[in-house]
Amino acid sequence: MASQTLNSSMQPTDVYGGDEVSAIILDPGYSSVRAGFAGEDTPKSFVNSHYGVNESGTVFGDDAIHNPLAALDIRNPMSKEGIVEDWDTATRLWEYSITSRLTSFKQADPRTNGLNDDLKDMDVEMDGIEEGEKPLEEHPLLMTETAWNSPKNREKSIEIAMESWGCPAFWLARNSVMAAFGAGKATALVVDVGASTASVLAIHDGLILKKSVQKSHLAGNWLSSQLRTLFETSEPKVELVPHYMIMSKSPVDAGAPAQATYRKYEKSPTDSFRALEEERVLTEFKESVVQVWPGPGRLNSNNQMGMTNLEYAKGQPGRVFEMPDGYNQMWGVERFSVSEGMFDEKAALPIPGEQPITKAQTIPEMVKASVNAVDMDLRSQLLQNIVVTGGTTLINGFTDRLNNELVAMYPSARIKIQAAGLTAERRFGSWIGGSILGSLGTFHQMWISRKEYEEFGANVVEKRCK
Amino acid sequence: MTSHDVRDMLDLPGEAAPRPAKKQKVAAPRPVLKGLAREVQNLGGDNPIAIVPEVSVFKKKRFGSRKPAAKWENRSFKNSARDDETLVLKHWRRKDESSAAPSGEGEAVAQDGGVVEDSTFAKYNVKVITPQYDDEQYQRHLQDNNWSKDETDYLVSLARDYDLRWPIIWDRYEYQPAINLDPETAEVAIVAKAENRTLENLKARYYTVAATMMKVHKPPESMNQAEFNLLELMQNFNPNQEKSRKQFAEAAFSRTKEEAREEESLLIELKRILARSDKLAEERRELYARLEAPPSTGNIGVFTSSQGLQQLLHQLMQADKSKKRRSIMGPDGTSPAGPSGLNQQPSFDRRESSVRESTSGPSGGSNNKKGPAQPGPTERRQLAPEEMQLYGVKIPERIPSSGPSFRSEKLQKPITSKSSVQQQKMLSVLTELGIPHRLIMPTIAVGESYEALLGGIATLIDQRKVMEKIQGEINTIKEKKRREEEERAAKMSGFGGDGVGDDRDVKVEEGEREKSAAPSMSDTGGQHKRSASVLSAVSEKSTKRQKK
Ligand SMILES: Nc1ncnc2c1ncn2[C@@H]1O[C@H](COP(=O)(O)OP(=O)(O)O)[C@@H](O)[C@H]1O
Ligand SMILES: [Mg+2]
Repeated sequence: MASQTLNSSMQPTDVYGGDEVSAIILDPGYSSVRAGFAGEDTPKSFVNSHYGVNESGTVFGDDAIHNPLAALDIRNPMSKEGIVEDWDTATRLWEYSITSRLTSFKQADPRTNGLNDDLKDMDVEMDGIEEGEKPLEEHPLLMTETAWNSPKNREKSIEIAMESWGCPAFWLARNSVMAAFGAGKATALVVDVGASTASVLAIHDGLILKKSVQKSHLAGNWLSSQLRTLFETSEPKVELVPHYMIMSKSPVDAGAPAQATYRKYEKSPTDSFRALEEERVLTEFKESVVQVWPGPGRLNSNNQMGMTNLEYAKGQPGRVFEMPDGYNQMWGVERFSVSEGMFDEKAALPIPGEQPITKAQTIPEMVKASVNAVDMDLRSQLLQNIVVTGGTTLINGFTDRLNNELVAMYPSARIKIQAAGLTAERRFGSWIGGSILGSLGTFHQMWISRKEYEEFGANVVEKRCK
Repeated sequence: MTSHDVRDMLDLPGEAAPRPAKKQKVAAPRPVLKGLAREVQNLGGDNPIAIVPEVSVFKKKRFGSRKPAAKWENRSFKNSARDDETLVLKHWRRKDESSAAPSGEGEAVAQDGGVVEDSTFAKYNVKVITPQYDDEQYQRHLQDNNWSKDETDYLVSLARDYDLRWPIIWDRYEYQPAINLDPETAEVAIVAKAENRTLENLKARYYTVAATMMKVHKPPESMNQAEFNLLELMQNFNPNQEKSRKQFAEAAFSRTKEEAREEESLLIELKRILARSDKLAEERRELYARLEAPPSTGNIGVFTSSQGLQQLLHQLMQADKSKKRRSIMGPDGTSPAGPSGLNQQPSFDRRESSVRESTSGPSGGSNNKKGPAQPGPTERRQLAPEEMQLYGVKIPERIPSSGPSFRSEKLQKPITSKSSVQQQKMLSVLTELGIPHRLIMPTIAVGESYEALLGGIATLIDQRKVMEKIQGEINTIKEKKRREEEERAAKMSGFGGDGVGDDRDVKVEEGEREKSAAPSMSDTGGQHKRSASVLSAVSEKSTKRQKK
């Protein structure tokens, strides 16, 4: 009887504004591509942005690219700025991330979807796509982009969605706006520190303020190069040997040379492959060892006790990290100093062959520049709605430090930082925001429909997605 | 060693077989745990943790009320709020029973017949209305040296595109003057572009255009209230004021730490002052409310004797103490009835509390009767001289020998120390003067004047008494003299005027002594008829005399 009162006429849409049209959200980044259905809370498909090329073809996805036997040349279709450079491959990479997990497109199985097959076979398959069904004919597509994406690139995105994938509707959203939506805010100052770029920008009512866009390269990859410098310069030098090179290892004391037998490869893997694999070790190191000095003050500044924070940090317990070859060491204050450069340009370790970083590239300075570029009336509101997102912000102490820096910078303003507590939510912040937006009933009027695209051309995206 | 061997050794009969079977039986219903629960269970290793896993048993379906599973369909819909209404999207919806009849063809029908339902969200689409004008209207009303029509158009279109969100409009404002003009104007235009428009600048222009067009379309006389308010608002926009406001805000925003700290401390101080003034006002209001309460009609005769007074004081102290104890209950908790249950008790009680506000102990601390409203003795601080004056705080060199007393008592003393007859007289004089028997605002200054006045009245009454006495004596003597004169009509005459004067002086002294020693017996008749002006003149005189 009770079930009768709760019948179908009661649409929950009125309550939470959701009305799902099985839209797909695609959030490509430098380190990974996130794709999934709108309305879900994490992306179903999470694919490494790096892809491998060898003489037999191109492979995508973590299952394929970490194979040391395949003599893969590892590449990334994204530029260091986080925008697409190689459109052909980017298209295939995204297509892979969508079709491998999401749509019921006939190529769902990665073994048979042609993307990982011989080029000849794949061509056949691609032809099949062209003549027959397209992967997204049933699904509107919401794609994210960086705030500094070029108009040409934006037009290219809609062309791919409409022409290659046959989407009925398309929308292009800024990933920082999506991150703010994911945090439940329409007005926010978004601090996004990902793999290739760190950016700070202001959002008002769901639109980015273009003058406030600040970006620098002090992000995950830069931190990795700091780690490399640290390994190079430490005594004794720490060898960064990726897992695939190790056949076996035996335990050694801390600081003692590694005792491992190494694998030999007939055809030694490429440098880019090795770099990719080294990066995995470094990410592990970042996750478990690296820490940001939480403040107050900088690592090199004095505290109330009359000593520098550095000395204080030296007294803190260290962390042990074991390299793939078995070498292990206690990391003490170094784990603070590698990340300090993100906040204090003078503390950055010099990277050979690169310009020293400038003050303006540090995160607090970017916040300052960004805030100064918006209208006075908005500033205090922005400082109360700071959204922190991106994988690199997961380093321990990052938000504490940011908060301390900003409190010192704006003593009379109220600073409130919002950072998702869950790792997934922090890393997928912009995808989650897209998922929310894409499932809103009120969003249906926003989509750029196929007809509109045909009528106005690719330029329509510039006019509509502001 | 198998269990069989063990059994053999222990001489146990039977097979071991049933046991493992039993064990299996026990193990079988153990639910298969998943995810975190399993991990937790595994933590225990071989000996599982004694957590009783909750086995969720689903309610059995009642077959009687079982209905066919609800049908859902991937239904097409459109959104009329779109510019391009042809976009048809699909969402999953419960199939309604009526359309379910053709079973499975519902979708086809919807598409074929073109009756695609509209999104329920279309209604949420709202757009701002931006001013409309044509070339001629622009020429007539909207010309401005600083703005070309082109740029005005651009501004209005941005305002529409961004729904009047000014920070965004300003952020995205990138006016590029058309280049296809002749070189001269192009140059001018470039110069115009070079001057960066401020947000206020944009707003001012937009509001001017909007207000002007509003008036053009509809004269202000025929506007409704809302429209007129909007017009007013737009016309009153003052970019310079806005600008300076923002400059102030910016200065406040970019303060140094020290400045911020200083301002913070000032703000705290201000808050404290405000809180205090609030409290003061509150207490004052309360005080007035109490004073305006109907005057007690009870008999105060009981208290006229010094004994009665002592008793009253005792009562009050008692009430005060219990009040302090009850203070957690709040100041408005009913006071306990006095021991004698006198009907004027409440009024005295209230009075006591109001007087106490201006009373303070020798410590000079803020001595307040309201426990809960008071942050406590920690707030004690030295009062400035003006504040001392204001609150009537006095710090005597030494505690008077009589011990602490209420100032109210001091006020009443000149009256209550008198005999009841004299009290009556004094009170009646007060009534005549239109001065309430109990002061409405017993500040220290008022109290002092009141005291002086009472002294004056007392003197006046004494003087009157003496005067009457002397008058009586004079009358007697006159009578006597007359009789004597009658008696010795022809005899020689007796007393002179000097003698009378001397006599009177003596009498005055006598009278004064009498007054302080014992209740006078002079009557009160006819006194009330004296005019106030005379009395006040007299009292003034007597006050002066007292000062001397
Ligand atoms: N727990 C972690 N601690 C520190 N760094 C992390 C952590 N997880 C991921 N990262 C780093 O974050 C970066 C990826 O962040 P992400 O926001 O996904 O980047 P993008 O959006 O550019 O793809 C990588 O450089 C990775 O090394
Ligand atoms: Mg990112």
